Amino acid sequence: MAAPASNDALFVALGAVPGAWLRFRVVNHFEPMLPRKHWGTFGVNLIACFAIGLLVSLQTSCGLAADRTLLLLGTGFLGSFSTFSTWITELHDTIQRRQRREAVLLCGGSVLGGLLAVAAGLALGSS
Amino acid sequence: MAPPTTESPPSLRREARDLLLVAGGAIPGALLRWQLEDLGKGLVGGHAGLIESDLVANLLGTFLLGVIAGLPAPRPRLMLLAGIGFCGSLTTFSSWMLQISLALRRGRPDKALAVVLISLLAGLVAVGVGLVVGRRLGHRRLRR
Repeated sequence: MAAPASNDALFVALGAVPGAWLRFRVVNHFEPMLPRKHWGTFGVNLIACFAIGLLVSLQTSCGLAADRTLLLLGTGFLGSFSTFSTWITELHDTIQRRQRREAVLLCGGSVLGGLLAVAAGLALGSS
Repeated sequence: MAPPTTESPPSLRREARDLLLVAGGAIPGALLRWQLEDLGKGLVGGHAGLIESDLVANLLGTFLLGVIAGLPAPRPRLMLLAGIGFCGSLTTFSSWMLQISLALRRGRPDKALAVVLISLLAGLVAVGVGLVVGRRLGHRRLRR
């Protein structure tokens, strides 16, 4: 079935563009203010984690939306808004510069903070 | 449309160009990630497939970003299109975290920890290899 499949792709693409734009603008916006630029990416990722937890729990608890909402907002928007590659590249950079404290904070903070943010989103959506 | 006599300020035009470049990379990046997720589901089945497929997209994007970042001469437009747009959208942090969180909720901390460690270590290796490849590519191009 070619038609529904191509429609699904449209939903993913429609979510991806504003997601990538917002990430680009937010990271650029915070770059001069924050002492190290990787905290902009860190913030973006944590917000996305909270939002995806909320989205998934709203979908399961209220039957809020069909698969397409998840494609648009989850796979498209939040998937593009959050990033793994930039985070790892910045982590690699801190390790190479031997900024050990910064690397541990960025790595541990992102993983633990991300898990907490997902849990908070899931809890809020199902409350 | 603006009348041809009043030129839009260059900063605005540049901003529009930047956004177009990011969008031009973001669409194929997100579509590829979505397709890789579906492929993973078909191969392994259920959540296990999702976890692994996110890993594929994340590692591929991380390697490519390493290549771009490794190029000796900075390429701002390539960075916007392929780096921030394509690699940024191909890779995802939120779905990755969601899968880890769901594995924890299903009482599989071993699985969650494995996904975290494998993704982290393989990601760091992917960046490192990408940076080396990028530097070599750049040198070869400079020599020509």
